Amino acid sequence: MDRSYETIIIGGGVVGSSIAYHLSEQTKEAVLVLDQKFPLSGTSGSTQAWVWVHNKTPSWYAEFSMYSAELYSYLSKKIGDVEFKRTGGLSPFFNEADREKAVRLAEAYEQIGIKIKVLSREEALEKEPFLNPDVVGATYSAIDGNVNPFRLVDRYMRAAKKNGVQYSTYNKVTEIQKMPGKFIVVSEKGEFSCKNLILAGGTWSRELGKLVDVNIPINQLRGQILVTEPLKPFLNYTISGLRQAFNGEVLIGYSMEQEGFNRATTLDVIQETANMAVHYVPSLKKAKVVRAFSGIRAMPEDGFPILGKIPGVENLYVAATHSGVTLSPLIGTLMTELILEGETSIPIDRYSISRFAK
Amino acid sequence: MDKSTIICRCEEISYEEIEEVLTNGATTFDDIKRLTRCGMGPCQSKICHSLVASMIHEKTNTPYFQIPLPRMRMPLSPIKLETLATNSTSFSSVKSVMDEVELEDGKVR
Ligand SMILES: Cc1cc2nc3c(=O)[nH]c(=O)nc-3n(C[C@H](O)[C@H](O)[C@H](O)COP(=O)(O)OP(=O)(O)OC[C@H]3O[C@@H](n4cnc5c(N)ncnc54)[C@H](O)[C@@H]3O)c2cc1C
Ligand code: FES
Repeated sequence: MDRSYETIIIGGGVVGSSIAYHLSEQTKEAVLVLDQKFPLSGTSGSTQAWVWVHNKTPSWYAEFSMYSAELYSYLSKKIGDVEFKRTGGLSPFFNEADREKAVRLAEAYEQIGIKIKVLSREEALEKEPFLNPDVVGATYSAIDGNVNPFRLVDRYMRAAKKNGVQYSTYNKVTEIQKMPGKFIVVSEKGEFSCKNLILAGGTWSRELGKLVDVNIPINQLRGQILVTEPLKPFLNYTISGLRQAFNGEVLIGYSMEQEGFNRATTLDVIQETANMAVHYVPSLKKAKVVRAFSGIRAMPEDGFPILGKIPGVENLYVAATHSGVTLSPLIGTLMTELILEGETSIPIDRYSISRFAK
Repeated sequence: MDKSTIICRCEEISYEEIEEVLTNGATTFDDIKRLTRCGMGPCQSKICHSLVASMIHEKTNTPYFQIPLPRMRMPLSPIKLETLATNSTSFSSVKSVMDEVELEDGKVR
């Protein structure tokens, strides 16, 4: 294995692997991805994987998410079938007060090109006949969908490798030395040097930052998901809370807990999640749960992506975010532009880590 | 076992498919599971995990006692959602996406 690279990416999840792939499309210079375990062992392997846009707030963040969602069809053409389905996204609501919010949302997002329809009870039930008949209405947008996260990361990785990117797995980075014009990255399997260094450590970003004396304010936020047995296709849309995968399984869950790095599943949240499932789609009552899993979101302190150069350290970059599945095609594209050209086609200043220094 | 032997009966994953991801760098049962779905079926790897362990042993020379077991998850054997549900409609950890949309002076933030 080589020891010297143009670029090293620490973290091979959906974010790191997307950057590796997009970079490898544009440059023949050597790229190495280091992962402390195997890609998918982090958050990218325990996610709902909605490609979700329509009720993200504020509008500039929704717009950013939209650009990424738009890239998915093209991406699947390039890297192969990732089971991306633009199903359209449906957010049901069960009280009249939410309709007011929904209408305001639709009005505001019309201006940025995200079409949201506020559905009446009848329209919602017509679109999704298995919804709880007590539903009051729903917001709907054709932009949303979902993807198979395992396939997505695997395809990014395979395509990157095909273009010459190397992966070194089960290889934790323990130390980073800043030298003039280069970095020395010390890992369990020895030392590597590189000109550009990208920190894509997901929920472990704060720890990675410490290795270069940079505060990356990422916290942990656990989510628990229930998986049913495969059922015949009966849900038409990605519903905010549950979705039916290609193979018929329904993935249910939208929970948030601050439990550090603890990836346990717990009965209380499993029960609440079951309650949500039967509240949204009553006929799920009879479906069998095969498995519960949990994942630890990388949650930036203010909830928004941390992307771009790290000021004060030449050629050091960070990409850490929640909703990394939705955002990965865009993040890979923009980080590649930034590294190779020094600027991005869509501004990312808003997402700079420097905002936390204030 | 030959290339077409089915290792995971629930998900119909063959020897060849698992061999391929092992060559690609997968090391543990959970790595193989995420890449192939082997072990994600109704039996949750109760049938396939020992066969997979023997493949890992054969391909990587890892001694059996050093091969981590797959992560077992609740509910261990499939149960109906209604058995888990308590019929409560008040939520604390589980959120609704619409709750996250906030209005400020009648406008979306
Ligand atoms: C329950 C749940 C539901 C979600 N639902 C959605 C959704 O519907 N849509 C959506 O877009 N997003 C969703 N997300 C978020 C999304 O899954 C994450 O944003 C995304 O997976 C993050 O990818 P990542 O590459 O940054 O992190 P990871 O996949 O965790 O990758 C980081 C990698 O860095 C490696 N690493 C860390 N430290 C080191 C080190 N010192 N040395 C070497 N390697 C290191 C780790 O091994 C890991 O593989 C959800 C998350 C959860 C938990
Ligand atoms: S045989 Fe592999 S999950 Fe059942």
